[in-house]
Amino acid sequence: MKLYINKNEKASGVSVSLDDMLLTKDLPTTAGSKMLDGYVSLFGADITDRLKDAGICVSGKANVGEFGIDLLGETSYFGACTDDKGALTLASAEIVKSGEVKAAITLDVNGAPRRCAALSGLTYVKPTYGTVSRYGTIPAACSGECVGVMAKNADDCADILSVIAGHDDKDGTSLPEEKCALLKKDAPTDEIKSVAVIKNIADTADDATKARLDAVKSALANAGITVTEIECDVMSAAKTAWSVLMCAELCNNVSRYDGVKYGHRAAEYKTIGELYTNSRTEAFGELAKTAILYGSEVLSDDNYMPVYDKSMRVRRVICEAFASIFEKFDAVLMPACQKTAYTEADVVENKYIAFDEALYTAPALITGLPAVISGGVQLMGKAFSDMALLSLAKIIEKEGK
Amino acid sequence: MLITDKESFARLCRLNQLRLTEAEEAAVLEFFKSKNEEFAVLDKIDTENTERMVHVMPMETVVREDKMIKLFTRDELQASAPESYDGYWQVPRLVE
Amino acid sequence: MKYETVIGLEVHIELATESKIFCSCSAKFGGEQNDHVCPACCGMPGMLPIVNRHVVDLGMTAGMMLNCHINRTTTFDKKSYYYPDLPCSYQTTQWFAPVAVNGLVDIETSKGKKSVRIKQIHMEEDAGKLVHDDWTDTSLVDFNRTSVPLIEIVSQPDLSSAEEVVAYLERLKSLLRFAKVSECRMEQGSMRCDVNLSVRPEGSTKLGVRTEMKNMNSISAITRAIEYEVSRHIDAIENGTEELVQETRRWDDIKGKSFAMRNKETAGDYRYFPDPNIMPVVIDDAWYDGIKASLPEFPEIKRARYIGELGLSEYDADLLTESRAFCDCFEGAYAVCGNAKESANYIISDITNLLNKKQMTSDELKLDGKSLGELIVLVAEGKVSRPNAKKVLAAMFEDGVSPAKYAEDNGFIVSNDTGKMDEVIKAIVAADPKSVADYKGGKEKALMALFGKCMKELRGNCDPQVLREALIKAVDEA
Repeated sequence: MKLYINKNEKASGVSVSLDDMLLTKDLPTTAGSKMLDGYVSLFGADITDRLKDAGICVSGKANVGEFGIDLLGETSYFGACTDDKGALTLASAEIVKSGEVKAAITLDVNGAPRRCAALSGLTYVKPTYGTVSRYGTIPAACSGECVGVMAKNADDCADILSVIAGHDDKDGTSLPEEKCALLKKDAPTDEIKSVAVIKNIADTADDATKARLDAVKSALANAGITVTEIECDVMSAAKTAWSVLMCAELCNNVSRYDGVKYGHRAAEYKTIGELYTNSRTEAFGELAKTAILYGSEVLSDDNYMPVYDKSMRVRRVICEAFASIFEKFDAVLMPACQKTAYTEADVVENKYIAFDEALYTAPALITGLPAVISGGVQLMGKAFSDMALLSLAKIIEKEGK
Repeated sequence: MLITDKESFARLCRLNQLRLTEAEEAAVLEFFKSKNEEFAVLDKIDTENTERMVHVMPMETVVREDKMIKLFTRDELQASAPESYDGYWQVPRLVE
Repeated sequence: MKYETVIGLEVHIELATESKIFCSCSAKFGGEQNDHVCPACCGMPGMLPIVNRHVVDLGMTAGMMLNCHINRTTTFDKKSYYYPDLPCSYQTTQWFAPVAVNGLVDIETSKGKKSVRIKQIHMEEDAGKLVHDDWTDTSLVDFNRTSVPLIEIVSQPDLSSAEEVVAYLERLKSLLRFAKVSECRMEQGSMRCDVNLSVRPEGSTKLGVRTEMKNMNSISAITRAIEYEVSRHIDAIENGTEELVQETRRWDDIKGKSFAMRNKETAGDYRYFPDPNIMPVVIDDAWYDGIKASLPEFPEIKRARYIGELGLSEYDADLLTESRAFCDCFEGAYAVCGNAKESANYIISDITNLLNKKQMTSDELKLDGKSLGELIVLVAEGKVSRPNAKKVLAAMFEDGVSPAKYAEDNGFIVSNDTGKMDEVIKAIVAADPKSVADYKGGKEKALMALFGKCMKELRGNCDPQVLREALIKAVDEA
């Protein structure tokens, strides 16, 4: 079991691990793919500069599922990770649990880091889209993916998020500094006084997960926060629309890996077509191939309007649904996954389980809204309420003790 | 509707420079079929008066000044090339 | 039966920017292979596209020059296909909301005037270049041109002959060079075109089978290719020599034939979608008005003004209005010296000679019109002689020197010191009694020899008329 694909032997002091979707200048970056085995970027992610400026070391590059789209890292070319009970887990979570680092920084493409934090009892913040630079991240699903932070508690998440958030001229979707500054620890936040539970989503979880939801609900109620159950039908369309958008973008983004410029090149080929096809066929795993073909197909002439364009419209409908929820409530509470543990058998049984589990993780990706994992469940809030959500996570941590 | 016949699927694979085993192909076609059913969820939502959303943040006109900056040398860029020759990336000859 | 030809053009024009469209690499033509390349434009992951503002300036300028409607919100999209000269396997272009639409370009041919409708102008990135190397029997990839900004000008199928196509291309070239959008140099590939052509019986409203010839980059080749294609189509229709199919063809200018390109089954399946990394570009009033205000007068309007108001000959006006740089220089000079004919003459003869000697195009002219005007004033005031003015001009052309200062520093200012002139004349007349005798004997030429010697001694810095009179007087007295 490989936690680090490459380790920084010189790390000392306060350190964080980066998952292998984040480019580093000194250590290779693989995206969990054979395609990029040994690939060393000429430049590091913008966040690596911010960490360095804050005196924080990078402990190494954590194993990650191929292009970050799977359930819990099981598609990594370098092998899946399991915890001490034999359940699937992300290398980032195991590294945090070991106490070796203050936090693990990951790219949230399809919810795996949030899912894993919920399963592992860790805290995670997927920040508001555009507040942490994506410069130097392996592009997978650019319209929604975010750099997020996993740690043992809300304070550590907040510390590291404060360091990596900020405007970046090198990222054309990076928000202005005054918006990014709302994610700093000392920024003023509106207190969260009411939380809505989306019942039709919560109802799909198993009993153990529902029990975790109930525990959090009572912790919040004890702290004087009102908890209300609501219905929101369109929310269940987020996973379908996100699968369309994510895979189309992924298909396009990974089309650059063709064996010509860098990365894996097949040993056998005669023509350029063989070079392309053999290299890509050898280097991509099955889930990545499925996502590429699906993403290509939704953009075909026949499917563009009824599927792709439709998904972009549904994206707006879901944003509007959240906006109307936030007219009445300060935050939303829902599960982050259907069960409380997953094993390799689950993935063997259903190769596409990550697309189903996106029921819980896609809403935050498709809307760009912040999401925080605490107490094994997920909180979502208005844009820039990241720090307020982390304060809520602190309440949950305290009540859980 | 996503394609579900073998002929179109073969074309889709060629378009994406991929070759699938029979078992992989069967699995993906099943996946496509299940997605075709799942799309009913999208169709149920009325989006006639909803504009498509490309960007979740309402930003516009992110532009830079027309200024040249050289970041890396050719040698640095070609250090990871599988094959290069005389400062070029090298590929099998394309028929002209 | 009589036939008519229906032609639409897609013209690609590389924009005159310093840096590329989405990254900061140099967009200059030439350079060592793969020298103008960064991780973004060689397809490495992690860099994000940031739009070069000047590309939008030039896209808008082109749109306005071609009478287009400018889309105030313009967006970028991704187009996917695999080819080794396309490092990301996608090209970022404009599919859904191009910068300019619905334009009109007026052309004139032997058959008279005509308007060609422009469907749209979109901004996009160029692809790289492949070199097919016989020595290694491989293809070599150069990404210098990758991501160099382009506009693609798509016309409606309004053209009907090679002559019209040439007139249309010349018109685009003239307008866009005038507006400094591009140098439009076909030989360097900064202007290329795809020709869509079909043939149908005259009067028919149904279009014939359309073929496309890609990447044509010389006017003469385009003419030959169109003529060949038209006769191939007619032959096929009349004599059934072959079955016409809609396809992309390659023109071989050496063989004088077009060939079907190997039919790529996947061609056309480009899977366009909006680029999530590039925010919409919104052109506000200030930006729009700024570009509008910067547009040059159209060349034919300048020409009419030069002839009508400034009294230039048609010939001179034609030569000047071939180039925006000439016009700028001319107008700058005229503003200072007020002598249109003289300003035009210097540009058409002396400056053109200097450009030719250096093998430079008129667009590369750096000489500032104001300085030329100052030089003309110096000559008119008799402060610099005409022959010396040429020397001053050469220095201005090279180094952009100020004419007055250069003439002063190099002793080219006409001296009003008659004492010095008299001294020189006296010495030369005394030293050459033979010429004096010859002149007195009726040989006019002998005086010219003396005049030349004096002029040389005085380094040309005198009024030739004054010198001539003083010399005759001195010879007579000798």
